[in-house]
Amino acid sequence: MWRFLLPSVAVMVLVLVWPLASAIYYSFFSYYLGGGTFRFVGLANYAGLLAEQRFWSDLLTTVIIVGCSVALQLAIGLALALALYALNAWVRTISLLNFLPHVVTPVVAAIFLKWMFMGRWGLLDSILISFDVFPPDWLGDPLWAKASLILADTWRFMPFLMLVLYAGLQSFDTALIEAAAIDGANAWQRLRYVILPMMKPLIVFVVAIRVMDAFRFFDLVYVLTNGGPGTATETITLYTYQLAFRMLEVGRASALGVLTLLLIAGLIVGMVLFLQRSGREVV
Amino acid sequence: MMVRRSRQTTLLLCLGLFTLVNLVPVLWGLLISLKQPADAFAIPPKLIFTPTLAFHREVWMERGFAGYLLNSLVVAGATVLISVPIGTLAAYGLARMHPSVSRPLLFALLAVRMLPQILLAIPFFVLARWLGLIDTYPALVLALVAVNQPFTIWLMRSFLADVPVELDEAAMIDGCTRWQAFRLVVLPTVRPGLAVTALFSMLLAYNEFLFALILTGSHTKTLPVAIAEYGGEDINYWSLSAAGAIGIMLPPVVFIIFVQRHLIRGLGFGAVKG
Repeated sequence: MWRFLLPSVAVMVLVLVWPLASAIYYSFFSYYLGGGTFRFVGLANYAGLLAEQRFWSDLLTTVIIVGCSVALQLAIGLALALALYALNAWVRTISLLNFLPHVVTPVVAAIFLKWMFMGRWGLLDSILISFDVFPPDWLGDPLWAKASLILADTWRFMPFLMLVLYAGLQSFDTALIEAAAIDGANAWQRLRYVILPMMKPLIVFVVAIRVMDAFRFFDLVYVLTNGGPGTATETITLYTYQLAFRMLEVGRASALGVLTLLLIAGLIVGMVLFLQRSGREVV
Repeated sequence: MMVRRSRQTTLLLCLGLFTLVNLVPVLWGLLISLKQPADAFAIPPKLIFTPTLAFHREVWMERGFAGYLLNSLVVAGATVLISVPIGTLAAYGLARMHPSVSRPLLFALLAVRMLPQILLAIPFFVLARWLGLIDTYPALVLALVAVNQPFTIWLMRSFLADVPVELDEAAMIDGCTRWQAFRLVVLPTVRPGLAVTALFSMLLAYNEFLFALILTGSHTKTLPVAIAEYGGEDINYWSLSAAGAIGIMLPPVVFIIFVQRHLIRGLGFGAVKG
């Protein structure tokens, strides 16, 4: 049986394990790609980053954007899934149309959204100006820029939650819901005490996947704000990109990447523990 | 009965309205691509205008997007041709192993999928530069194969796990080797799954941006990198970049129509079945 795994394992060792090991190795060096410096510095890259204000504010930005957008996606995705579940006709058409934002090439999605948010010429502004309302600077104001990015990320990933949660709803035993209805539970009570508890493991699963993916948030922010204004919307991933490919500080960028990896690993462990605990409750 | 029907109608109307609002960014992009710049900049926004396909023609024929499309197709095609065969082999191995062995391996693969891609991008760039592979197809294809492997294996495993083990056993009693049982008996039964997996890997490769951004150059630039350079910022290029964006969107649209029945399985990593 093991022989079937060999080609895949060989490729992954060559193209995943080797590069990953190299990155961890670089993170202990002062490595400037432009000038060819390569000097062992121990943990200095890590210490430098942890002492930096930019690192902490980028981390905060990332957490805010990830937290708000995942919460929003879950709320809208769940509402849509329930609505689709209650609907008798046109279900496939509506779910496929709403699914479109999720499969559109991310860069293209970001460009479409840019034409929504752009100052003066964007659709939002041109509608607001037509009604003599003075619009906020969607992408240029530190607070609005974060809000725009949260909306943008929600637009792209809400369909994913919608479809997976809808599939979950369909796989449940309807007898329980009917029994609750016969016992006199109203729609809200059925949702709160029957449907949501049944969906809890699935909700935790999709939220876990989304949170971990959201930490890699790159395409949308790169095209929409490129971290601006200033570094108001700079996420950890974008900062790593800037360090590695704009400043060519490979050592420091690798250290930042490793820190991100540790963060995600911590999240995974936390979620597995949570899943095990809530699993006992549900089953 | 009447109450129920009218509630269905209200629900359908609400969902229809939501869908329409949700698709405004795409529809607006489509309108810009068909407008003359003077109409695109009108305030209030113009909905009635004389459409033109001139920008679609210009961006694909005169601005080199046909070449970028070719790059995208070469990269996505090569990625699928390498990733799906080796991923299917691994998936078969995992599907037929004892769960106590395969479960830890599958979770390890899931962990690989969660690696921050930017952390991989750094050594990819350094190593590709060292090997002189920047701006060549193999650099990007290898990177995409590697990051697609966990997904391909998980998805294929979910299809292969649906094939009863008795089928393999019957074939081996009839004198097949393990390899022949896989090749001649099991593989033909999962052909639809193979197609779905190939389409999903193809979409991932076609849409990928970060690795393409750092590993390609003027010879191998893929469509997402090319359109990102237009950026949508400079209003003089609006109509052109809208035409490019709409064109780039078409293959993913065709994709959902083809795999609609399998979307959920693909999205849920094969772990959630639709």
